[in-house]
Amino acid sequence: MFSTDDSIVAIATPPGRGGIGVVRVSGSSALEIARRLLECRTPLEPRRATYTRARGLASSATAPCGDVLDEVVATYFPAPHSYTGEHVVEISAHGSPVVLEAIVQRAITAGARLARPGEFTLRAFLNGKRDLVQAEAVGDLIAAATPLQARVAFDQLEGTLTARIAAIDAQLFDLIARLEASLDFSDEGYHFVEPAEAARAAACVAGRVSELLCDGRRGRMIREGATVVVAGRTNVGKSSLFNVLAGNERAIVTDVAGTTRDLVTERIDFDGLALTIVDTAGWRETRDVVEREGVERAVRAQEVADLLLLVLDRSEPLTRDDERLLASTNDRARIVVVNKSDCAAATGFSWPNDDGVLVSARTGAGIAALRQAIQRALTGSEALRDTAAISNTRHIALLEEARTRLTSAQRAAETGHTPEEFVLADLQAARECFDEVVGARTPDDLLEHIFSTFCIGK
Amino acid sequence: MRFDVIVIGAGHAGVEAAYAAARLGCSVGLCTMSRDTVAHMPCNPAVGGTAKGHLVREIDALGGLMGRAIDATGIQFKLLNRSRGPAVWSPRAQADKRLYAAWVRAALDREPNVTWHVGKAGRILVEHERVTGLAMEEGEAYRCGALVVTTGTFLNGLMHVGPEQRPAGRHGEPPSRELAESIKSCGFRAGRLKTGTPPRLHKDSIDFERAVAAGLFTEECGDASPIPFSFSTTRALCNQVRCWLLHTNDRVRDLVCANIGRSPLYNGRIQGIGPRYCPSLEDKIMRFPDRERHQIYLEPEGLDVDEIYVNGFSMSLPRDAQEQIVRALPGLEHASMMRPGYAVEYDFVQPTELRSSLETRRVDGLFFAGQINGTSGYEEAAAQGIVAGVNAARKTRGEPAMTLGRDQAYIGILVDDLVTRGCLEPYRMFTSRAEHRLLLRIDNADLRLTPVGRRMGLVDDARWERFEARRGRHARNMHALDATQVRSDRGQRLPVRTLLRQPDVRLERLLERGCVELDLEPATRALDVASLENDVKYAGYVKQEAAHAERLTRDERRRIPDGFPFARVPGLSREIVQRLSEVQPETLGQASRIPGMTPAAVAVLGVFLGRSLSP
Repeated sequence: MFSTDDSIVAIATPPGRGGIGVVRVSGSSALEIARRLLECRTPLEPRRATYTRARGLASSATAPCGDVLDEVVATYFPAPHSYTGEHVVEISAHGSPVVLEAIVQRAITAGARLARPGEFTLRAFLNGKRDLVQAEAVGDLIAAATPLQARVAFDQLEGTLTARIAAIDAQLFDLIARLEASLDFSDEGYHFVEPAEAARAAACVAGRVSELLCDGRRGRMIREGATVVVAGRTNVGKSSLFNVLAGNERAIVTDVAGTTRDLVTERIDFDGLALTIVDTAGWRETRDVVEREGVERAVRAQEVADLLLLVLDRSEPLTRDDERLLASTNDRARIVVVNKSDCAAATGFSWPNDDGVLVSARTGAGIAALRQAIQRALTGSEALRDTAAISNTRHIALLEEARTRLTSAQRAAETGHTPEEFVLADLQAARECFDEVVGARTPDDLLEHIFSTFCIGK
Repeated sequence: MRFDVIVIGAGHAGVEAAYAAARLGCSVGLCTMSRDTVAHMPCNPAVGGTAKGHLVREIDALGGLMGRAIDATGIQFKLLNRSRGPAVWSPRAQADKRLYAAWVRAALDREPNVTWHVGKAGRILVEHERVTGLAMEEGEAYRCGALVVTTGTFLNGLMHVGPEQRPAGRHGEPPSRELAESIKSCGFRAGRLKTGTPPRLHKDSIDFERAVAAGLFTEECGDASPIPFSFSTTRALCNQVRCWLLHTNDRVRDLVCANIGRSPLYNGRIQGIGPRYCPSLEDKIMRFPDRERHQIYLEPEGLDVDEIYVNGFSMSLPRDAQEQIVRALPGLEHASMMRPGYAVEYDFVQPTELRSSLETRRVDGLFFAGQINGTSGYEEAAAQGIVAGVNAARKTRGEPAMTLGRDQAYIGILVDDLVTRGCLEPYRMFTSRAEHRLLLRIDNADLRLTPVGRRMGLVDDARWERFEARRGRHARNMHALDATQVRSDRGQRLPVRTLLRQPDVRLERLLERGCVELDLEPATRALDVASLENDVKYAGYVKQEAAHAERLTRDERRRIPDGFPFARVPGLSREIVQRLSEVQPETLGQASRIPGMTPAAVAVLGVFLGRSLSP
């Protein structure tokens, strides 16, 4: 655990050269530290960007101000209205690592301590500026490899997910309050909620969780990316397809069967998705030890794939190896890619047109349609919509648990045989899942809700 | 003269405290202003109700008085929520309030360890932050090892009837001022609450039969075969009175509105905060103007008592307005009011001043129980009384306190809520306060608590034998449900237990048809059958709940040492440090339930527990 009563400093922008770089100082003495290293004569005004210069340490009595390090723009965010909830000064300089390091060093001699990874966010969390979802999202935002990942992480940072869960939770909470009132105030002569109505309400809440989860599957793909494995028997053009999709010549393409003996992987930004595509050794019975190892690895890769691209060669009749592969991957998420559309179909080749995508890896024909098919298979929609998505496995697991309990509550309420308190046991469990996502254990405001809604009490 | 334990007040909290301490072998001085108002019911002449009925069963399972007292003196019994599941079944009974008081007084008279002292408690004697005795207003002083204060509404009590204000603890009884001063001078944070009671009517002035015939009143009888409150009650209970249900009308509403300026609740004369779950008539009409009518019950206060209690009609309007409003009720045109309703304001001590033993943190050996802690209700008071009584006795012997978990008893929830959250309004128990409601049923109160009561020394041999017999029967019957096979509708042979899991199969029906033989005692039959059926039907839910409880209790086991320096934990905001220092939670679980605590703060606190903190 870190100490939180001193001031910390760090470069806030990514390592390496950039147009600008930002040094962030946070803590009770942030302003004092900034005053010592900046040249401006008047104090920094809150939330106002001030153009000034940063100076190094005074080296001797003859240079009492120290050398100018860079021209900078400094902004002061007084507590609690800052990222961390403490006093924060952000200094934007030119994005040279040397300059930025020098500013950090100067801040340290002025009394700051070098921040440890995640320490700014930790302080924000401890000061109540970020809830758990948001704190996790900051990490995601920084680690984002594609713009869409960044967008989703940013949405969570803004609390969009928190707000969506809160809206669902409010509906659930109202249902719970009505059921609880039925139990605690049964002799009031009120009908707070009928079982059928309770079942409907539970189903409605479960439906909203499903929607969120549907986005969630997409969200996880966005956050963690997906693995697409190109599979097929030998020499059907897997590597050519891989190269077309990857956009470079990574895999060696020859006409000799069994050229690709190991896995070749490439990470690409696939219309916003971080995609790992894997080229595998062609599947065939072989005695070659190295090749057999390649085939085994291919099989293992297929097992972990989010999506299989199963390549067939229409210029040749389907072989037994083809049939075997088709059968063994029948229950997997796969797209059958019928390659070599530039060649005439062999007489012995028969494959239904509506299952699969016809392409030519050599000419690029049909590749656009294949890309769409991949996108659709991975995210459930062709274009990634611009809405809040849950992208964290922990959140998805919790929401799935919530949905299970809601469905169980709905079924119990529908039968009419299960008393309210058992329905409530499920509903409360669902509610705890929501609480766990946003990291907030809500106070017992249930009675508050009941009393403000109903006139109760004898 | 010296007592091990002195108890101030002989209301529902005081009598349980005195009885428990005496049963544990302590010499007890029980100090009351009058022996006529022992275990008095100044408001509703009834015991139990949702969640409150659970408390009474638990008090009884521990070995307390209340359950036996109401079984012996109840005049109408009803199980609330009977159409719902077993976890929310709650017994409620109308009491003959004179007989009830007499029964409790006699029970205490039989305890040789209890010495009565009729007089007014004055000053708490404290030396070196440790209680040493009690000085009476009349002058004499007693020394003691522990002191339990159960003053109800008497601390600086102020009664309101319209514009009239009178210092009083209850109708016709003087307040405690010197004691209030004495408590304040110890430095306790005090607050002010308000409660109220409805007018009482003369039963001869109401023609019940005619009102029922005219459809103005609905007659309410008790249950055909009542379920007793006490595990030791074996005789059949019977209903001896009826109650009547009626509704308010537009005239009542108009009269309240016309007189609202004369209500001390609405003209600013009452400052104390009243309970929202028991709103005054003024509140009902003013805060819920859309509601056309409100339920009112007429309840006799006893067999040979003239007073009729008007349940749901508490108010503090002037007497003349109350008379008009009562007579505006359908069927009560000629009713004569024996005494008006009133509101009473009184001092309470923020219960965050207490440990879970109900001992104050400021003064060693000083315990508070009942309304002084901000609660309302006889049952809530009695529940604290038994906890304070047991712990006062254990304190004098240097034994660790008895604390009950939130997953163990409603009593545990009550105490935990009080000491961690404090009170903003009078606290009443609800089943929705229990996060493990399915585990806390009236049918298993003895399984949960009688072993605890036995360990403490409250459960005598006879009762313990009965308990073990019941526990044995339950286990044998459970086995019988497994071992006996029946033919289902589809002709398969199934164990009864499997069949019973189906929602529409009821154990009573199977017993009637002779499908299974069980060992049942007539006296406890209804609940025993319910227990078995619940254990089978809802096993899945109960298991889930138990697992959940287990998860939550992990934080309960992480103890926070006395005097833990919250201010030195880095990262905690000043407000949170202040709340923690006020409440002084005893476990991490308690800390997490303090209002305003953030999960981050709990996590940080968890990290620093058991580490040495730099000064």
